[in-house]
Amino acid sequence: MSPVNATYWGIPGYAIFWVLFAVAFGLFAWRLRFLFRLMRLGKPQNRFDHMIKRIKTMLVEVVPQWCNLKTVTRKDIAGVGHALMFWGFSLFLLSYIIFIGLAGGFGLSSVIEQTTFEIVFFSILDIAGIMVTLALVLAAIRRYIIRPTRLEPSGEAAIILVLVFFLMVVNVAVVGFGYAAHDIQASWPPLGSALAGYLSGTGLAQGTLEGVYQGVWWLHYIVIIGFMVYIPRSKHLHILVSPANILFRPLGPKVELEPIPLEEAESFGAGKIQDFKWKDLLDLYSCAVCGRCHANCPAQLSGKTLSPREVVLNLKEHLLETGPELLAGKTSDKSKTMIGDVVTEEEIWACTTCGACQEECPVSIEHIRKIIELRRNLVLTQGKMPESAQLMLGNMQLRGHPWAGVQSLRLRGDWTSDLDIKVLAEGDKAKTLFWVGCTGALVERNVEATLAMTRVLKAAGVDFAVLGDAETCCGDPARRAGYEFQFQIMAEQNIETFKKHGIKEIVTTCPHCYNTIKNEYPSYGGKFKVVHYSQLIADLIGQGKLKLNQEISARLTYHDPCYLGRYNGVYQEPRRVLQSIPKAGIEEMERSRKKSFCCGGGGGLMWIEEQPGTTKVNHVRIEDVLKTGADTVVTACPYCLQMFEEGIENKDIKDSLKAKDLVEIVEAAMKQS
Amino acid sequence: MNIIVCVKQVIDPEIPPVKFKIDPEKKEVVPPPGVPPVISVFDERAVEAACRLKDKQGGTITVISLGPEKASEVVKHSIAMGADEGYVLNDAAFEGLDSFGIAYVLSKAIAKIGAYDLVLCGRQSADWGSGQVGSILAEILGIPVVTLACDIEAADKNIKVKRVVKDGYEMVEAPLPSLVTVSSELGLPRLPAGMRIMIAARKQVPVWKAADIGAEASELDKAHVEITKLSVPTRKTECEMIPGDSPDQAAENLAAKLAELL
Amino acid sequence: MDNKGVLVIGEIVEGKLAPITIELLGAGRKLADELGEELSALLPGSKASGLAKDAIACGADKVYVAEDGLLDSYNSDAYTQVAADLCQKALPSVVLLGHTDIGIDLAPRLNGRLGGGLAMDCLALSLDAAKLLVSTRPVFGGNAHAEVVSKSARPQMATLRPKTVPQAKRDDSRKGEVIPVEGKVDPSALKVKVVERIKEEVEGVKLEDAEVVVSGGRGMGSAENFEMIRELANVLGGAVGATRPACDEGWAPMTLQIGQTGKVVSPKLYIAVALSGAIQHIGGCLGSKYIVAINKDKEANIFNVAHFGIVADYKEVLPALTAKLKELVSA
Repeated sequence: MSPVNATYWGIPGYAIFWVLFAVAFGLFAWRLRFLFRLMRLGKPQNRFDHMIKRIKTMLVEVVPQWCNLKTVTRKDIAGVGHALMFWGFSLFLLSYIIFIGLAGGFGLSSVIEQTTFEIVFFSILDIAGIMVTLALVLAAIRRYIIRPTRLEPSGEAAIILVLVFFLMVVNVAVVGFGYAAHDIQASWPPLGSALAGYLSGTGLAQGTLEGVYQGVWWLHYIVIIGFMVYIPRSKHLHILVSPANILFRPLGPKVELEPIPLEEAESFGAGKIQDFKWKDLLDLYSCAVCGRCHANCPAQLSGKTLSPREVVLNLKEHLLETGPELLAGKTSDKSKTMIGDVVTEEEIWACTTCGACQEECPVSIEHIRKIIELRRNLVLTQGKMPESAQLMLGNMQLRGHPWAGVQSLRLRGDWTSDLDIKVLAEGDKAKTLFWVGCTGALVERNVEATLAMTRVLKAAGVDFAVLGDAETCCGDPARRAGYEFQFQIMAEQNIETFKKHGIKEIVTTCPHCYNTIKNEYPSYGGKFKVVHYSQLIADLIGQGKLKLNQEISARLTYHDPCYLGRYNGVYQEPRRVLQSIPKAGIEEMERSRKKSFCCGGGGGLMWIEEQPGTTKVNHVRIEDVLKTGADTVVTACPYCLQMFEEGIENKDIKDSLKAKDLVEIVEAAMKQS
Repeated sequence: MNIIVCVKQVIDPEIPPVKFKIDPEKKEVVPPPGVPPVISVFDERAVEAACRLKDKQGGTITVISLGPEKASEVVKHSIAMGADEGYVLNDAAFEGLDSFGIAYVLSKAIAKIGAYDLVLCGRQSADWGSGQVGSILAEILGIPVVTLACDIEAADKNIKVKRVVKDGYEMVEAPLPSLVTVSSELGLPRLPAGMRIMIAARKQVPVWKAADIGAEASELDKAHVEITKLSVPTRKTECEMIPGDSPDQAAENLAAKLAELL
Repeated sequence: MDNKGVLVIGEIVEGKLAPITIELLGAGRKLADELGEELSALLPGSKASGLAKDAIACGADKVYVAEDGLLDSYNSDAYTQVAADLCQKALPSVVLLGHTDIGIDLAPRLNGRLGGGLAMDCLALSLDAAKLLVSTRPVFGGNAHAEVVSKSARPQMATLRPKTVPQAKRDDSRKGEVIPVEGKVDPSALKVKVVERIKEEVEGVKLEDAEVVVSGGRGMGSAENFEMIRELANVLGGAVGATRPACDEGWAPMTLQIGQTGKVVSPKLYIAVALSGAIQHIGGCLGSKYIVAINKDKEANIFNVAHFGIVADYKEVLPALTAKLKELVSA
C-alpha cells in the first residue's frame, strides 16, 4: 500500500503528491527555461552537423563514464569514484521513476509491489547504495581532509554530499519501515529487510510503524523533488548539461576558432557576455568545479592570476547576474564590465593556449576559444594590448613576421644562401614544400635546426623545395593574440602561394605552422597534406631511407610540444625516432604526453611579456627536465627550443643541460664514424 | 578637425647592414631583394598623431604620398590606421626632386584637396633624411610650423604641441592652420584593427599626375641641391677580442685595458 | 645674385658662445680663407654684444649683433625672421648652423624662406674645384654618406654635427667689426609661442658631454637588468645611453636614446652592452674614440665597429667588470 493512496487530514495523498510535484517541477522548469533563454542570448553556432556521430560520442563518454575515467591517474583516482556515483545514482533515478512515479503517483503500486522485479531491483539498489555511500565518504575525506589543490572546500559540495548520503540512508529506511509496517518477511533486499527484521523485533505498534513509514516515504519524496529544484541552481546543473556539452563539442580539433564574419561591423570578439556563442554559454553551465583545469594550467602553476576554472565560474556568475536585464532588453550602467571586472586583462594575456585545461576537462568545456574571443575584443575593438604584443603584431602587419628587430640581423631567405636546395621562383612548381616558419628562418639558434633538417632530408633523398624569402608567417601568433583580420589576410595569401606553386604536401619543423596550416587553413579554402617532420622522419626510418647508426651517449628526455601533442595527438613518432637511435636512453618526464607541461611560448607569449607571477613557465618546465637526470632535453618545436635555451641560460646550467631539436639529434645519429 | 598627412614609402631601414648596397653611378640605393618597402617611421607617427586628434575632435584625415605607384600601400596602411582618404602623387616629372620640389608638389596637392586645419609630416624621411620638406612646405603654404612634436593636443582654435629638445621638452602653442613635423617620441603607432584592415585592403587609391594638381614643369626643374657622390663608409676596425678563460676573467682583463685608456 | 662670404648663425648658452658656435667659427674661417671671403657671425639676444669680441677672437671678421631680449630664448618665428632679414641684406654665399635644437628647427625654415640649398647633420664641409660648398652627410640611417652640392641656389647652407670639427683657436689680437642688427622683432607677429620648458631630470652626467657612455640595448631583457648599466656608468663617472628598442620597452627614458634620431655622442669611451649594433644606433656613437662591445652573439654588427669586444652574456661580464673597475678607479 503506497502512502500515496492514504489520506492526510482529509486530503488525498495523490493530491499532495501531484501538487508537490507540480510546484517542484514548475520551479525546476522555470529555472531551466531561464538558463536556456540566457544561453540563447549567445551568437549562433552550427554544432548540429553529423548528429549520429555526435550522439554516439556522447553515449560513449557518458554511459561508461569515459569522460571521467580518462582523467584517472595514479595520484588522482577521483574519476573512478565519480563513475561509481554516476552509475549508482542512475539506478536510483530509475528507481524513483518506477517506484515513486509509476507505482506511487500513477497508482501502479499494486502491480509492482512485491514482484520479483521489485525485489531484484531493490537488492541491486542496496548494493548501489553501499557503493555510492562509500564513494561519498571517500569524496568527503578527499575534499575536507586531504584537500588536493584542485578542490576547494565549498558549501555547495557539502550540501550535495549530505543530500545524497541522506537519500541513501532514507532509501533503506523506506524499505525497512515499509516491510515492517506491512509485516513482510523477506531476506531481499538485504539492507531493507535487515532493518525490517530489527524493527519488527522492537515490538513497535503497527500503527506507529505505518506512521513512520509514511513519514519517511514523504520525506524521501520531498528531498528528491527538492533536489530536482536544487540541481539547476547549483553546480550540479552539470548533471543535466554536461551530456549536452559533450554532444555539442567540436568534432575535429579541440580548439575550434572561427573566422570573424565580415558583416560584424560594430564590435569584434567578446566584449559583452552575449558576444559569446551559445555553446560558450552552455560551457559555463557544464562546469562541475572539479578544478582539474586549474591544477594543470601552466599560468596558474607559475603564479599568474589566471585560472581557467575562475574564468569559467566568473563568466557564469556574470551571465546569471546580467541575464535578467539582458532578457528584458536593458543594459544597466552599474553592471560590471566583462573585460576588466569579471575577467581581467592580466588573466587574458597570461594564457599560453597550451590546451591542458581542455585536455583535463571531463565535461569538454572549451576554455581557450573564450580567451581568444576576449583577446579579439581587446585587440580589434578596443585597441588595447600589452606593448610587446603591439610591437609584435605591428611587425606582423608591416614585415610579415613576428620577430621585430631581428631583421636587422638576418633576412627571411638568408638561411638558403650557399645551400644547394631548390628555392621556388615565380612560375616554379613543386609537390613537396619544406615550410620553415619564421623562427626557423630568422632566429639564429633555430636556423641551425633548419639547416640540419635540409641535410637530413637530402640524405634521405626527399625531393623538396622551399619558398626562401617569399615565405611569410603562417599567421599563428596573430591569431592566438586575437589579431584575426591580419591572420585572415596571411592565411589567404599563403594559400594562394601554395596553389600557385602546385604544392600538394607540406612538411614543417614548427608545430604551430603544422597546426595552423593543417587544421585552420581549410576554412579559408586551403586543404593540403601537412606533415610534421617527426612523422616524416619516423616514416623514413621505417622505410629504411634513413639509418641512425651512430650511438648517442647522451641521456635524453623528450618534451612534448603542446601544439604537436595535445593539439594533434603526435606523441609516438618523435619517440619512435629517438628509440631507433642505438643506445639512446630516454627518460620520460612525469608530465609527458597528454600531461606535458607547456614551455610558455604558445599563445603569442613567445613575444608578449609574461604576466606577473612567482616564476616563469619555462623555468617550471626546466625543473621537470632536471628531475629526470637527463643531460639533453629534446623537443620538436622552435618555440620550445627557444624557451629551453632561455631557461638554461637563466639558470646558468649550460654545462649540465643542453637543449636540442629532434632533427639535430637525428643528424648526429646519422653521421658515420 | 581636417588634417592632411604627408607620408613616404621607403626601403625598409631594418635590414642587416651587410645587405645595404648602393649604385655609386646612379647615386641610388639598391633595394634588397625580397624585402618589401615600408612607411617611413616618422610619417607613421604623423598618421598616429592625426588619428589621436581625430579620436578626440572628429574630422577627416587625408593622406598624400609622393612616390611610385606602389606607394598606394603606405596610403592604405594609413587608412587602416584611421585615415579617411588618400592619394598617390606619381608622375615621371616627380622623379629625383629635392626638398623644394617635393614641398612644391605637396603644396599643389594640398591646394587641390582644399580646406585643412593641420598638415602633419614626419620630421625627416627614414631614407635620405633631409629633414626639410615639412618646413619648406609650411613656408610655401604660408602657415606657421612647429617641428619635432611628440604630442599634439587641440585646444579651441589652437594646438598645443610638445616638442622634443636635447634635455627635455618644450610646450608650444600654435594657431590653426599650422604644419607640425612629428618625431618618433610620439610613441608606438596604433595597430590597424577591426574592419579598417579590410576597408583599407579594398580601397582604390587614386593617382594624381602633375597635370591633375597643376604642378608646373618650370618649378619642378629647379633643383636647389644635388647629390654629387654616394658612398658607403668603410670602417676599418679589427675588433680586438679581450682574452679570458671565463667571462669573469675577460671582464677583469677588459677593466685593466679600460683603466689604461682612460 | 652676388652672394659672398660665410655667415655663422651663433648660439649663446649660459652667457657664453656655445661650443658648437666656436666649432663653426673654426670651420667657417677655413672656408672663408679658401674662398678669399669674409667670415661673419650672427649673435642673438641681450648678451650678444658682450660676446662679439669672443666671436672675433675666434675668427669672425664681422659680428652682427641682434640685441633683442626676445631672442634670449629660442623662438622659431623670431629667429627665422631675424636670420632671414640679415641674409637678405648681407647676402652670404654660405650659411652655417649647428645641428642642434636650434639648427634642426631654424635651418630648414631659413632655407625655405631664402630658397637656398641646405644639407643637414653634416660630418664634413669642404670646397670643391669650383669653390662650391661640399657637405658630407649621413643618409639611410648612416649606412651611406652623401656629398651634397648647391650649384646655383644661394645661400649654400649646412648644419654641422657638434664635435666633428675642432674648435676655433682663439686669437685675442684679431680685429673685427661689430654691426648691430636693425629693427626689433614685433612680438605680435610671432605666431608660435613657447609656453613652457620642461627639463627632464636625468640623473648623473649629461649624455652629450660625458667622457664615458655606457649603453644598453634590447638584449638587456628587463628594466631591472638595466640597473647594471647605471652601476657601470656611475663607477666610470659616465652617462647612461640606450638604443631605441630599449627605450620603446620603457627601460630608459627617450632622452637617453642614442642613434639616428636620438642623440649623437662622441665620448672617449663608449661601452655597448647587449645591443646588436643596428645601423640606426651605430650612427649615434661612431664618433667615439673607443668603442667596446659586450654581446653574446659573435655575429652582431657591433663587433664590426667596436675596437674591443667580449663575446659573452653581459650578465656574466658586467658584474666582474664593474667590480674590477671600481677597484682600479679608487686605487
